[in-house]
Parts: sequence; structure tokens; C-alpha cells
Amino acid sequence: MMDLLCLGIESTAHTFSCAVIEKKGRGGRILSDVRKIYRPPDGEGIHPREASRHHAEHSPQVLSECLAKAGLGIGDLDMVSYAAGPGLGPCLRIGAVVARSLASYYGLPIYPVNHALGHIELGKMLTGARDPLVLLVSGGHTMILAFLGKKWRVFGETLDITLGQLLDQIGRHAGFASPCGPKIEELASRSTKYEPLPYVVKGNDVSFSGLFSATKRIMPRGLEDACFSLQETAFSMVGEAVERALSFTGKKEFMVVGGVAANRRLSEILRSICRRHGCRFYASPREYAGDCGSQISWVGLLEAKRGSGARLEDTFVRQSWRIDSVEVHY
Amino acid sequence: MSAAIALLLKLLKKGAEADIYLTMWGNRRSVLKIRKKKEYRNEVLDARIRSTRTVREARMMSEVKSFGTSTPIVYFVDPKKFEIYMQFVKGPVVRDLPDRKIITLCEKIGAVVGTLHKNGVMHGDLTTSNFILAGKKLVILDFGLSQRTERTEDQAIDLRLFKEVLNSAHVGIVEKAWASFLKGYGRAAGTAARERVISQVRVIEGRGRYANVV
Repeated sequence: MMDLLCLGIESTAHTFSCAVIEKKGRGGRILSDVRKIYRPPDGEGIHPREASRHHAEHSPQVLSECLAKAGLGIGDLDMVSYAAGPGLGPCLRIGAVVARSLASYYGLPIYPVNHALGHIELGKMLTGARDPLVLLVSGGHTMILAFLGKKWRVFGETLDITLGQLLDQIGRHAGFASPCGPKIEELASRSTKYEPLPYVVKGNDVSFSGLFSATKRIMPRGLEDACFSLQETAFSMVGEAVERALSFTGKKEFMVVGGVAANRRLSEILRSICRRHGCRFYASPREYAGDCGSQISWVGLLEAKRGSGARLEDTFVRQSWRIDSVEVHY
Repeated sequence: MSAAIALLLKLLKKGAEADIYLTMWGNRRSVLKIRKKKEYRNEVLDARIRSTRTVREARMMSEVKSFGTSTPIVYFVDPKKFEIYMQFVKGPVVRDLPDRKIITLCEKIGAVVGTLHKNGVMHGDLTTSNFILAGKKLVILDFGLSQRTERTEDQAIDLRLFKEVLNSAHVGIVEKAWASFLKGYGRAAGTAARERVISQVRVIEGRGRYANVV
């Protein structure tokens, strides 16, 4: 099989990123991965229009820096892929426009890629996991997935907000800058006092909305205790859902991916669960846990094994593109 | 637990929530369900979860018998040790049966669930592993997440979970099994209740992340 070079463009939410991966046989090597992250003012969330403006302004710089770091010109590329969803419409469109421009001007094959699939496939490539049960935890997702019959099937998910949103919204309520996960983790590490909070597991699914309101209520009594209790409750809920899915599917590998995977307490809980179930634990490396172009580039390369990309007129963005609707052919 | 009994313990299943042992209660074969301490969970939270679920499960298993639902008989509950001794029910779980059999049994499962709902109980953990086929009788297990509730929303959550299980673990027979389930459910709960719950299932699915709403 020929070596392939793919430029991947990620712009689903707060991150605009370009990356180039070289695929040799079944292996991949990241040649460069450049990111520029939109930061909303303290205490505020991501504003789709402002974020997309940020992405549009920074895209030329990120792209040229990415190519320079890889030591390549656009002419060296074999293909381009972009995150077509799920995500914020205005943000997605920026990545898609950049990808389409490159594809049509330079005659490159173009691949619209599912962002969630990017998290999983890059995680597998970097960790060497083969057939894991996957926990995807980020601002946009809280899902437990396993691969079965050409699709990633959802074995459990949040019924309302995601784990990333829960942490961010609590953090913003306290006036921190998003993403607030690291700040909450730091505050939580200073307390060991557990305040009772609602713990809601429904079958394999979790629900965070009640926990969110109750945490807000106890925040005035002590921020550190609130953060500690929030983390303990939310992560235990996710842990239990994972345990259920592990014992139901009987998978012997487990992998956690997504921005919240960087949280140490969460990964400690997940490791402990894997030990109990005799299951190997994998986590995407911190540097690639959050959104990045490498995720998109790698799925593009995998998809290039079959098919020759999308027709330009079919390169839309899909804000609500669920991963379990994607058929996988590689 | 005395040494003699401990010797007879045989681990049947290491579940997500509890460990299941085969043992004796008096001279009867019995299943011992222990909700073990989870090392990763905060102690206060851990004790709260284990004790509520143990008590709730034991209570509900006995209570639902009055509506004609088959559950294992509860022999003994130790809420301090988070243990339940219950009747050993012999037979395969529905999940492990051949596809054709699962499809037919889904009608019976639907009827069991419909009866629970009609009597104000939601199960909270409806999977094909939680039903044992004992001869011709279907026995339902695992009431740790059950609740007394008359709300359509809660009943719909039950149905959605079961549908999700079919979708993920029984991909090849989803449509047939689901139709069969709904047939049984309607028979037990009434068609009006069935339609109300199904429409609520759609509402919940629409609420899901990135559901096909746009």
C-alpha cells in the first residue's frame, strides 16, 4: 500500500486545528498538529458566532504553521478531511469551507469525517487498543460505545447534559474561564468532605441535570467541598455505567477518550474498574485527548482505504450527526 | 457468615453492581447477592447507594408477587452487610437463547413489564440478562434500580432502555423483538397506556444528544 499524507481540519467547537498524518501500511505518524483555541470571557460559555469568527481569522495562520511544521507544501498532500459534525454549525462551516477551498483549488480528494469517530480512531491508533469498550467524555459527548456489525453502538449515554457541560457550567457559575474542568479538579483535590448529591443512573444511562442544580445550591457553603462532591458523584455515575457495559459486553479492553479524559480522578476511578473486571485500560494521551486535527486526519486516511472521497457538492456539515449512524468500512 | 456456609460459596457472576454467589440457605439452594464496597467510590456515597438498593430490591421482589409477577423468593436480607439471600432459579437468561426464541419471549417480557407499570412499579434495569426462563415461566430479576412511580416518563425510560439493549446486543432481531415486546406490553397495560408510553419514548429519544432533530 502506498504512503498517504492527509491534512485534517477540526473546527467543531472551541478549537480550530490543522494536522498532517502520514499513513504507512496500517500505522500512522503525526507530522504536525497545530491548534488555536477560542477563549470566551471568564464566566461565559462558547458563543458560536464569536467562535466561528475566531476560527475564520486564525485559519490561514494555523494552516500555514501546520504545513511548515510538517515540512510540506500543499502540493505534497494526497487528500484533505474535515470534521463535518456533530458540532456548532457556524464553527463547522469554517472548517468545511477551508477544506473545500483546498480540495477544489488543488484537486485533492475530500473526506467529511465524524468528529466522535475521530476521537475513537485516533485513540486506538495511539494506544494500540484493538477492540475496546469506549468511553467518550467531552463537552459534546458522554457516551459508552462498542463496535459491533459495522457500527459503533451506544451502550449508554447521558439523558441530558454531558459531563463536560456539567463541569463547565458549574465552573462558569463560579466565574471561571471555560473549559473549567482543570480548575474544578484542582479545587476538588483540596477537599475530602462529601456532601450528599443526587446520584442518577438509569439502566446504562446517566442524567446530570439534577446533580447540576443541587451542586449550584451547595456552592455557597464551600466551593472546594462542592467541587469534590460533584466530581465524586458524577464520576461514580459514569463509572457505574461503564461497569454495567463492561459486564454486559464482556469486552477485555477499555479506552477513555475526549477532553474530560484528562481528569486524574476520573481516570483513577476507571483504572480501578478495569482492575476489578480484568480488563486492559487505555487512555488517549493527554495531548490528543481534546479536539484536534489529528483525529480528523486519521479517520480520513482510514476511510481512504475504501472509496475515493465525497463529491464536492456533498460536502455539507451536519450539526447533529450521531456516531451510531455512521457505517464503518475499514 | 459461618465457615460452613462460606465453604459452599461459589461465585456465579461478578456483576457491575453486585457479586452473585451460589450457596445454601438452610437446606435450600440459594443465591447470595452481595453489593460489595467499591474501592473507587467515596465511602459515604458508596454506603448510601448500596444500602438503598439492597433494601429496595428485597422489598420490591416480594411486593410485585402480589400482581402475579414471578421473582425469586427472598429468604433473608442483611442491610448492614448489603446482602440478600434468595431462591436459586434454574434456567438460561433470555439473552443467551437463540434469536427466534428471544423474539417470542419478548412478548412475555412485554407482558411482565406492562403488569409492573400498570401496578405503579418501574424496573429501572430492563435487559435481556435480567429474565430467566425457568421451564415455561419467565422470572424477572434485579430490582435494585426499581421505583414506585406512576409517571409516564418513568415508564418510557424503562421501555427506552429495553429498546437500547435490543439495538446494541440483539442487532439482527431488533424490529421483530421490539414489535413482540409492544404486543405483550399492550396486552398487559392496555393499548391506551401503550400508545401514551410509546409517544413519550419518542420525546425522550428526541432529547438525546444529536438525536435526528435538525
